[in-house]
Amino acid sequence: MMLWWVVDLTLCALMIALAAGSLFAATLRRRVIFFIAFGLLTAIVWARLQAPDLALAEAAIGAGLTGALLLAALPTAQPTEHKRDADRLIEWVSLLLAALLAVVLIAVLTTLLPVVDGDPSLAVTARLSDAGVSHPVTAVLLNFRAWDTLLELAVLLCATIGVLNLAPARKAPRHAGALADTLIRILLPLLILTAGYLLWNGAFAPGGAFQAGAVLAAATVVLHLGGGVRLPPFSLAQLRGLLALGLLLFLSVGLVQLAFGQALLQYPLAWAGSLILLIETGATLSIATMLSLVYLGGHPLRDWPVAGDSRDREI
Amino acid sequence: MEQAQLMFAATGALIFVFGLVAGLRDDSLLGRIIAINISGVGLFLLLVALAYRGLCQAADPIPHALVLTGIVVAVAASGLAIAIGRKLDELRNSSHRREGDSS
Amino acid sequence: MSSLLVLIATLPLMTALACLLHPRGGDQLSLVASMIQLVASVLLVTELPSRSSLSHALGGWAPGLGIALGADPLAGWLVLLCALVQFATTLYARFYFCDSQARYRLWPLWWLLASALYALLLSGDLFNLYVTLELLGLSAAALCTVGAAKAEALEAALRYLLLGLIGSLLYLAGVALVYAEYGTLDVSALRTLISSSPASLASLVLLSSGLMIKCALVPLHFWLPAAHSSAPAPVSAVLSALVVKVAFYLLLRLWFELFTPVVTSAFATLIGLLGAIAVIWGSWQAFRATRLKLLAAYSTLSQMGYLFMFVPIVMALPEGDTRQFAYGALLLLAVSHGIAKAALFMGIGSLQQHLGHDEIDRLGGSARKLPVTLFAISLAGVALVGLPPSGAFLAKWALISSSLVSGQWWWMLVTLVGTLLAAAYLVRVLGAAFAPTAAAEPALPTCRLALQQPALLLAVLATFGLGFAASPVWDTLSLSPPEVQR
Repeated sequence: MMLWWVVDLTLCALMIALAAGSLFAATLRRRVIFFIAFGLLTAIVWARLQAPDLALAEAAIGAGLTGALLLAALPTAQPTEHKRDADRLIEWVSLLLAALLAVVLIAVLTTLLPVVDGDPSLAVTARLSDAGVSHPVTAVLLNFRAWDTLLELAVLLCATIGVLNLAPARKAPRHAGALADTLIRILLPLLILTAGYLLWNGAFAPGGAFQAGAVLAAATVVLHLGGGVRLPPFSLAQLRGLLALGLLLFLSVGLVQLAFGQALLQYPLAWAGSLILLIETGATLSIATMLSLVYLGGHPLRDWPVAGDSRDREI
Repeated sequence: MEQAQLMFAATGALIFVFGLVAGLRDDSLLGRIIAINISGVGLFLLLVALAYRGLCQAADPIPHALVLTGIVVAVAASGLAIAIGRKLDELRNSSHRREGDSS
Repeated sequence: MSSLLVLIATLPLMTALACLLHPRGGDQLSLVASMIQLVASVLLVTELPSRSSLSHALGGWAPGLGIALGADPLAGWLVLLCALVQFATTLYARFYFCDSQARYRLWPLWWLLASALYALLLSGDLFNLYVTLELLGLSAAALCTVGAAKAEALEAALRYLLLGLIGSLLYLAGVALVYAEYGTLDVSALRTLISSSPASLASLVLLSSGLMIKCALVPLHFWLPAAHSSAPAPVSAVLSALVVKVAFYLLLRLWFELFTPVVTSAFATLIGLLGAIAVIWGSWQAFRATRLKLLAAYSTLSQMGYLFMFVPIVMALPEGDTRQFAYGALLLLAVSHGIAKAALFMGIGSLQQHLGHDEIDRLGGSARKLPVTLFAISLAGVALVGLPPSGAFLAKWALISSSLVSGQWWWMLVTLVGTLLAAAYLVRVLGAAFAPTAAAEPALPTCRLALQQPALLLAVLATFGLGFAASPVWDTLSLSPPEVQR
């Protein structure tokens, strides 16, 4: 027990230190680096708290993609202006206020322990056998609370369309060199394989559409950073189709059940497993496309969403 | 188990509050995005810590699903914010250039 | 009839996908979808009195394990408000954005925003509400950037997005505490579970402050004027009429149904006080505004202030018929403001397209050129100020008399000052518009007639429709006291 106590204390102290670094370090570049380290540490903490799904997602999305996004945005970021004394004062006051709020919140938290479990008849484990998948988190995400996940895909779609509306993609960095090309050639198939494995695994072990989609998007990031290899050339219509695919499949599968007198998103027990896999496959492709486009900051072709008179121009 | 729960939940609460205040106070866009993300992770830590049920027992899966949703929402929002910021810089630069030409 | 709920919740999503996949058909798809949605919501509202509430367990799972969609009269009337405003603004947006490329970009986001609105109104799960709030915030911010050519518009959108995110985080923190204490996220189960405790109080404060950012209640209002005044007119109309309203709807649910043991009269008075400040300050800023859209945005601040100011009045009434009556008045005020504000923003948008600007001092002669639009703006003004025969007049009257009954006469003074200021700023606009042309304005193409009609439709509805047909709203609400729903 003592050993775990020391481990937990170290993890918490490190979390706070890295968070402080990414909030208060002097330059933006340092803050971004601290943030990525914070994300990776968070993944370890999730593993410690028996949340392996989150560990995978955090490493791929939280630290990986968000980190890449922030790093890519760094060169154009405005340097912070020098602070005046009055601002300093406000800063100290707000920090004091934050400390006070944190103390109150922690005091409230102590009243919550021990945490009560909800109604046992509504527990996920009680109905897991009817869910079609044996991994509890996947069961919650794609069956019990599938409506949340569906709307979450809509959130991601919304952000992607917003990004696409705003700007064409960032230019690819300079060609990174032959060594990077070789690395990419090895890395790329591995990433795609990993994505497939995570997708398949989701039914009975940690993994699923979000992790798989994020790993596929990581392949785009690697390709983009390498600079030498072209991204897969999709037309605008194909891209729109890929964006809509996940949500469309999810919604259609959910609506078809209505015709048989079932509820929205109610899968027949015998089919539940395969339907969930189908939905997850579509979702993985859409998520990968959306996260890639969000990272690229737009579409490599001009004239989103419909090609106009000018010929599509690739950047 | 309660000790670990409380320790991680308190850490989460601390990070959540400080991230939030920094997100309101920060004066650069990227800094704000970082702060909001950090604050979010603090909140997720609070949720996951309270879902923890010790080493020998599986944790409550519902908060895990919620946090997974939260992680995806956070990256989507950050991406949109960065894209708007980039467009804003572009507009400002082009208007500066125009002013420079006319003077 | 629960398939009606499914239709209302999923149709906007399907329309968004269809508009994404087939951009060129976006105009027709949007028009048809908004009509279907309007019919479905009318059906929903007419269906509700006989049943008082509907619900649909998604996935067939019991709420608590799964998520339930549900509607009671309160949700039903707000769904109808959304459908109505959405219908008119969809018609309007079709003509407002002349550039077809801008419309291709608009429609998917437009319908994602609609999905968020309806999903939020029908949701019966605290975490699901968080997801809908995020969808609402992201789609609203993305919509603000459609066709934006000015740096100010993007700045406002960015600030709107980031503050929305902070608001959602606060809300989610409240949800986390509720889940930790009671072990469920299901709203109808929580209704009987929540009791007075430190954690309940903390979660109430967190949930309320998150939502109050989204409602722009003073002192969390600073993002609203810029965001609502620099977005394209159809988007401003939806933001001001609906997006702030649904956040207020959630607050009503929290204060009157979920957290009743925790909400004290001191808490309610504090909220009312903030509302009163918003009424006076917002009206004053609207009076001083130099641009029409800014005026309308500040007017939204003050109108939201009224809604909050009347909360302590309703709460002070004893449970039962009198309280239901006042609650109905509050709802009527919200609906009537929503419709009138959408009409006002659309009218201003037409003026702006026609004149090329929206500065109040240079409006001279516009009444002669655009009589229909000016008529719509005046009618919307009648409803906003709260003159008879508008629904807002009846609602304010009922609430003021309730405040006298419960001995809280001071709210009447604020209402009086606010109403006078509102009348002053609208008279200022109309005075400028009816004045003869000051200087020779360059001749611009006349505003298409189609652009003017939706505003007129909503303005007539706000002033006459809701005034003469106010009783159904009141009746259905008093049929079902919130305590016995579902």
